[in-house]
Amino acid sequence: MSDSRNTPIFSCHDVHVSVEGKEIVKGVDLEVGAGEKHALMGPNGSGKSTLAAALMGHPGLEVTGRIELAGEDISELEADERARLGLFLGFQYPVAVPGVTVASFLRAAMSARQGRDVPVKEFRLKMQAAFEALGVPRDFAGRYLNDGFSGGEKKRLEIMQMALLEPRMALLDETDSGLDIDALKIVSAGVNEATGSETGVLMVTHYQRILDYIKPDVVHVFMDGRIVRTGGPELAHELEERGYDWLADTTTASAGG
Amino acid sequence: MANTATDGTSAALDSRRPLLATEDVAAFSRTLGEAPMGAQWRQRAAEVAATIDYPDRVRHLWKYTDPGRLAPQRSLLQVPQEVAPFDLPDTPAVLIQPGRAPQPNAAAIASGIEVRALLHQDADVEWIGRAVPADHGYFEAMNAAAFNAGVLVRIPRRHVAEAPLRLVMAAEAGRDVLPRVLVIAEESSQATVVEDHTGGGDGAVVIGVTELLAGDNADLHHVLVQRWQDGTVGHLTHRAEVSRDGKYLGAIAGFGGDVAKADLGGILAGPGARSEMIGVTLPDRRQRLDHHTLHRHTSGHTWSNIDFKAAVSGRARSAYTGLLRIEANAPSSEAYQENRNLLLSERAHADTIPELEILTDEVSCSHGATAAPIDPEQIFYLQSRGIPADRALRLVVRGFVEPTLQQVPGGLRAELEELVEERLARLEGSA
Repeated sequence: MSDSRNTPIFSCHDVHVSVEGKEIVKGVDLEVGAGEKHALMGPNGSGKSTLAAALMGHPGLEVTGRIELAGEDISELEADERARLGLFLGFQYPVAVPGVTVASFLRAAMSARQGRDVPVKEFRLKMQAAFEALGVPRDFAGRYLNDGFSGGEKKRLEIMQMALLEPRMALLDETDSGLDIDALKIVSAGVNEATGSETGVLMVTHYQRILDYIKPDVVHVFMDGRIVRTGGPELAHELEERGYDWLADTTTASAGG
Repeated sequence: MANTATDGTSAALDSRRPLLATEDVAAFSRTLGEAPMGAQWRQRAAEVAATIDYPDRVRHLWKYTDPGRLAPQRSLLQVPQEVAPFDLPDTPAVLIQPGRAPQPNAAAIASGIEVRALLHQDADVEWIGRAVPADHGYFEAMNAAAFNAGVLVRIPRRHVAEAPLRLVMAAEAGRDVLPRVLVIAEESSQATVVEDHTGGGDGAVVIGVTELLAGDNADLHHVLVQRWQDGTVGHLTHRAEVSRDGKYLGAIAGFGGDVAKADLGGILAGPGARSEMIGVTLPDRRQRLDHHTLHRHTSGHTWSNIDFKAAVSGRARSAYTGLLRIEANAPSSEAYQENRNLLLSERAHADTIPELEILTDEVSCSHGATAAPIDPEQIFYLQSRGIPADRALRLVVRGFVEPTLQQVPGGLRAELEELVEERLARLEGSA
């Protein structure tokens, strides 16, 4: 665990999220230090993905609470403003945008993140390097964004975007689900490569498997809209052996940590 | 000589039928310096016009546009004293203005394509009215009798025109312009004609007819760019008649005007003929843009395809009706049609009506029509990568029309893409 917890790269306090009046996330506090990797684990339907989307600024969610990126309050910012400040969300289900090529999208995204028009030549070199690192065929550049992509291709493209956008904080929503073991290794290596000592990571996952490849510093157990337990990597192994049920009666407990 | 019966803004509407006396039509023809046969042809058209009722909204194809909005507001059969200046590019281009002979630039003169005033030779009457006869409809009859901006474009046999020929069709505020274009692509010729409807403004009315005759084995591309300024209203009728082994590609960019209706069609008239139409329309604010397409197969072993896209924003309305008609004597024909509509705001509206009339067996036909609002998850996804919402919206719309634009050959595609970009810059950022 990093010793930079006094200056977290990302934090949220008392975050509640409602969808059409129904509360899904019921008060979440998190602090992620620079270079730290956190895992947020929980059963399906516990509200993990809703939390991730809310932290990114999904306009369809009613969110209260305070969200900070590198000490700056981003609670009221639009998703694109959060992204330009260095927040990244790897989608569980990346959205297809037919007619927009991967290359033109990536260049628009990089230009937005860097606040300058990234020159074509510089962009090409970076994109090709990222393609190679993630074993993505070159013809991806001319394909329409996530349109007709397999699940594995989409996830690789998500991690490739993360590598190119160099976020300060990455929220990875079920990046591992639907991947075979080879793809999982490649994607995990990509995450480890792209997130060095500066980037904070919150991995939202249902399965323990990815944690064999991306070692978490902190593990949170998320149930029924709340963090019910926080611990070290050993907590993930405990979940692996015992499942979530033994924690079900602790859902009223406050988040430890 | 001129008909002065309509001087108010609503007189033409009240009369429901402009008074096109045959002697006035003949006099107008003489004023324009047309050939004697030309004057006769117009007079016959005026007689036809007198027999056609003004369209009302219960008539087929007039359900979505109020024909009253399209009526010429001033007297027809007048030659304006002055016309607004328009700049032409250096590439082959011709300026088409009311009461004036077509004005080709040097590159157009050097292009090897004949460009001159329509009906200035007696022989023109053998061609004019072939694809759009005077009795096609009310506005077509009016145009035939009273067109005031005519041009004939003839691509000689086996001539291959490297550069597109641009016809700059200049609408003007407060004026009725009735352009008429006749393109004759002779046997085995190849050319691209761009019909660029520009200008306009408050009180501008355009009633246009374009006939495109693709001869045996000819390859004719036609691009209709309609980018009238706000305030303009207009009705454009286009028909391409494609002969044996001929190929036609019609690209439509229907962007401008307050109320605009276009009736666009291809007639597959000889075995082996192919016709393809692609269209993009992006109505916004309170625009009413109405497009009708037709592919009529009158000969067997013919092929046609239509891909028409509308992205509608603001309180605008788009109407699309597409008819595929395979005649009884046209076996082994293939006809395809697709219309997709993207709604960018809650108050945007799109109607889409595909129609099939198949009078023979042994054909392959398909049509599809969809209308859907923009997916907010697409906008969020793009936003999550730092792209602002308004830019994201433009990207999604651009992506929506992109596969259609891909079907347009090289240089023209770039021009259409530029037009789309220009148009998208107008879009407001509300997803």
